Amino acid sequence: MSTTTRTPQKLRTRKPITVGAVAKNLSALVIAVVFVFPVYWMFSSSLKPQHEIMTKDPIFVFTPTLDNYTTATGVDLFWTYVQNSLTVTIGAVLLALLVALAASFAIARMKFKGRKGIVLIVMMAQMAPWEVMVIAMYMISRENDMLNSIPMLTLIYFVMVLPFTIWTLRGFIAAVPVELEEAAQIDGCTRGQAFRKVIFPLLAPGLMSTSLFGFITAWNEFAMILMLNKDKESQTLTLWLTQFQTAFGSDWGATMAASTLFALPVLIVFLFLQRKAVGGMTAGAVKG
Amino acid sequence: MTVDSQGTATAGPQDAPGRAAGKSQTPPPPSGTKEVLQPSRGRRSLPSGLLPYLLVAPALLSMAVLLLYPLIRNVILSFQQLNRKEFITRETVWTGFDNYTKLLGDSHFWSVTIRSIVFTALNVALIMLIGTCIGLLLNRLGKKMRLVLSLSLMFAWAMPIVASVTVFRWLFDEQFGVANWVMRTLGFSGYDQHNWFETGFSTLVIILILLVWGSVPFVALNMYAGLTTVGTELYEAAKMDGASGWRTFWAVVFPNLKSFFMITTFLEIIWIFKAFAQVYAMNQGGPDRGSETLPVFAYIEGVGQFHYGVAAAISILTIVMLIAVMSFYFRLILKQEEEL
Amino acid sequence: MKRKLIAAIGVAGMMVSIAACGSDGDKKDSDAGKPSAGGSKNLTVWVMDGSAPDAWMTEVNKAFEAKHPGVKVKVEKQIWNGIQEKVTTALSEDTPPDVLELGNTQTAGYAVTGGLADLTGDKAKLGYDGWNKGMVASSELDGKLYSAPWYAANRVVIYDKAAYKKAGVTPPKTRAEWIDGLKKLKAADPKSQAIYLPGQSWYILAGLIWDEGSDLAVKDGDKWKGNLSSPEAVNAMNFYKELAAFSNAPKDKDEGTPQQSTDIIPKGGVASWIGLGWEAGGAIDAMKKAGKTADFGYFPIPGKTADKPGSVFLGGSNLAIAERSQNKELAKEWLALAAGKEYMTKYAVATEGGLLPNTDAAQFKPAAGSFAESMAASSVSGKVTPVTPGWANVETAPNPIKDYMTKVLKGADAKSAAEAADKVINERINQQ
Repeated sequence: MSTTTRTPQKLRTRKPITVGAVAKNLSALVIAVVFVFPVYWMFSSSLKPQHEIMTKDPIFVFTPTLDNYTTATGVDLFWTYVQNSLTVTIGAVLLALLVALAASFAIARMKFKGRKGIVLIVMMAQMAPWEVMVIAMYMISRENDMLNSIPMLTLIYFVMVLPFTIWTLRGFIAAVPVELEEAAQIDGCTRGQAFRKVIFPLLAPGLMSTSLFGFITAWNEFAMILMLNKDKESQTLTLWLTQFQTAFGSDWGATMAASTLFALPVLIVFLFLQRKAVGGMTAGAVKG
Repeated sequence: MTVDSQGTATAGPQDAPGRAAGKSQTPPPPSGTKEVLQPSRGRRSLPSGLLPYLLVAPALLSMAVLLLYPLIRNVILSFQQLNRKEFITRETVWTGFDNYTKLLGDSHFWSVTIRSIVFTALNVALIMLIGTCIGLLLNRLGKKMRLVLSLSLMFAWAMPIVASVTVFRWLFDEQFGVANWVMRTLGFSGYDQHNWFETGFSTLVIILILLVWGSVPFVALNMYAGLTTVGTELYEAAKMDGASGWRTFWAVVFPNLKSFFMITTFLEIIWIFKAFAQVYAMNQGGPDRGSETLPVFAYIEGVGQFHYGVAAAISILTIVMLIAVMSFYFRLILKQEEEL
Repeated sequence: MKRKLIAAIGVAGMMVSIAACGSDGDKKDSDAGKPSAGGSKNLTVWVMDGSAPDAWMTEVNKAFEAKHPGVKVKVEKQIWNGIQEKVTTALSEDTPPDVLELGNTQTAGYAVTGGLADLTGDKAKLGYDGWNKGMVASSELDGKLYSAPWYAANRVVIYDKAAYKKAGVTPPKTRAEWIDGLKKLKAADPKSQAIYLPGQSWYILAGLIWDEGSDLAVKDGDKWKGNLSSPEAVNAMNFYKELAAFSNAPKDKDEGTPQQSTDIIPKGGVASWIGLGWEAGGAIDAMKKAGKTADFGYFPIPGKTADKPGSVFLGGSNLAIAERSQNKELAKEWLALAAGKEYMTKYAVATEGGLLPNTDAAQFKPAAGSFAESMAASSVSGKVTPVTPGWANVETAPNPIKDYMTKVLKGADAKSAAEAADKVINERINQQ
């Protein structure tokens, strides 16, 4: 974020080191440590040899080993899980973006009867308690022979992230000055062209932040997949994460290695998109 | 859509209009917007009456099939006795309002409800408070420190829920937990084997810490991003006027970010109220069912105890409650819609 | 939930990958079980993680596939955690697994739902007459047979020989001797735990209740009711508390959190603990990995008097066939083969006697001083949880017995806490 161009540098007092400045930086440091500690603990545990993980007094200095990662990735069907997770997540996000773009454009830029109702529906949809709807969803899938189906799961995740995506994108589209679009139309663009050439490029941050949100949601989803996809070949990485707590004891090292690997894509997406996305998320949020 | 025009600066190009205006007191820019919009639509050759519906249709259709339909099924289930036997034999046994009357007469249901509401309120208040403070802090930090802090926040944000619950359980483990070690190191006695999950209350406190930890980054980073849109001139002006930090916040920051606060609070209420994995995985609603919140209660009744019909009824009641609580927001947001 | 009863002695057998058995069928798994064009079929078998040594399973399936050309057996390992949910949903589907392993305390609960195939007519084929009568009980409901017993196991006390020697304690025969020994152990080494006993090991409490001549729940007319508040059961709980006083184990967890065998015992500082064969094996293994040597001795849980060992929960698994299975006849053939005498004998060998096979004829003669020897010695006092379909409901989380134990260990009055728990049990046990 600090790389954002709109950093308000002026807000910082240019005075030499004062008590206030020290306190400010110190508290920032403490907060940073507090927030990063669980993440650090996960990562460091994943590198510890088995017998140094479960200790009464935590061990901070140790010889790192990749054994846990070998265990974690050596699981049967690991690559199937990776593939399923990526398919489901990316599929859901792309689908949501596409459908939401159309819908949010209409909501933000057009006036039509029932528009308000649609806004209300989108807001309500955001509150859907998916976890407690698993049984109904399960029965529907069972009746339609959609159990253990990757497309079905993709569709569910798509609808799961759709309301937020519409809501956020709507804000972004509305934020693009109509004059720009208008100008393009005066220049002979059709409305569709105006959208593609003018609005779409300006939507980049919005698209990024919504895909980030969608990515996190779909990537993390747990309840549905457990209930709907029991076939190992149709499961995702969330199953893999819990796999190391078996009858033979919990392999915490492997669990932590798996968690680290699991968090990694989200983190990469985050760091990759952070410049735009974080600001973008606000825009979305601010916009209601 | 006044809210939109107001937040423009964050997302849109720098020349976006109306950035500093508070949302409710600025009908002019949006209405102006609308006027500009009208003629452009008038020029369209397509039957514009149909187009918006076509654009909205895929979204509505998919929500109808995969959200509304399951929801309706859920309502139907809530009027059935659907235990393990009916579930396997696929029998349908109608029991009318039995599930509801049973629930509403169950003191456990009410204590879970109250617990959920208090828990959510406390959580959201803390998240908003801490998030705002950190957001303000971010805004006032130097470049390097800001990078450190925001990176740290992002790490916490990106952490998968399943992984974070596992790590937290472990941090607060009775035997091997870092939390106990920290307390011992700081010289507190009685933390040799302190059980952080001793009671439902203490369990909820740990879950609260986890939820705050996981949610604050969203608020803080967005708050910061929002702050960058508040014209620095306004700040300077306030400062020049000799306003205290507190007053600056209420006079400058808050009005400008009012809709940010509103929407973020709205989202956080929903997210925390619905939080399932964090609460369930931490201690399965225990000890002695003392940390159950509504979604966990529904899950334990349904998937755990095989009373799917009762679980459906709980989920319906949960939705009704959420809608009741949120109707305030709906009205606010719909009002803004009208202003468009 | 009997997920702790995971017989997994055959760690050695785990080396052979089970994936070899069914990899050919992987691609078409959604059609599993349906006969496809080429006339080949898949038979899906769900077994629990650790139940079947891989080498044994491979052998069974090879023999089966040889007898039934064109049939592939696909074995899927399940974990105990959350298995009830999974089996329940699977039984409701159109293409369920054909054969499933079910915990013996849970079988009746599934039988009553109609999800399991009735095997009454196949008794002869399955070798009903040779089965251990104690184990058959959990397979039957209202005179009908719903599963074949597979194996059983029970817990014994596992002790560190060095610690016992140092304190001058020998394996006790009675409860009084047991407590006496624990006191000596504590005196000899105040820092270590004379016994590691988590607060929610309710199968152990069940044994103590049976020792008092009582039960977890009793039949009252045609209804069942919880019996924890009976004076006998309260006495049992008090004895449990006496034992637990020698332990620092968490009061609100069972032996699986943290896993006593791999996370606690290998760290040392525990003179004795109560566990299953696979747990002993797991601890030995974990200690080996950490460069230590385990020197364990075993003795049956002492009874009130020396003439009979303490009662133990006879946990185990049955193999059942799903009512909706598309290959019932084949599944029965597989069941007859796997649970038949020939392969059960091999099974007992593969598990080194750590698990009792379903027929006495297949029993493996355990080595002297082994876990299996003590287990066999105490299995004469083996008992099972109340045989009623409703029992499965009692075991589902949150288990009222576990919560009750925690409360008492934390100082609540046993009698009144038991009454509260009985109330929950009454509610659940009479439901189906």
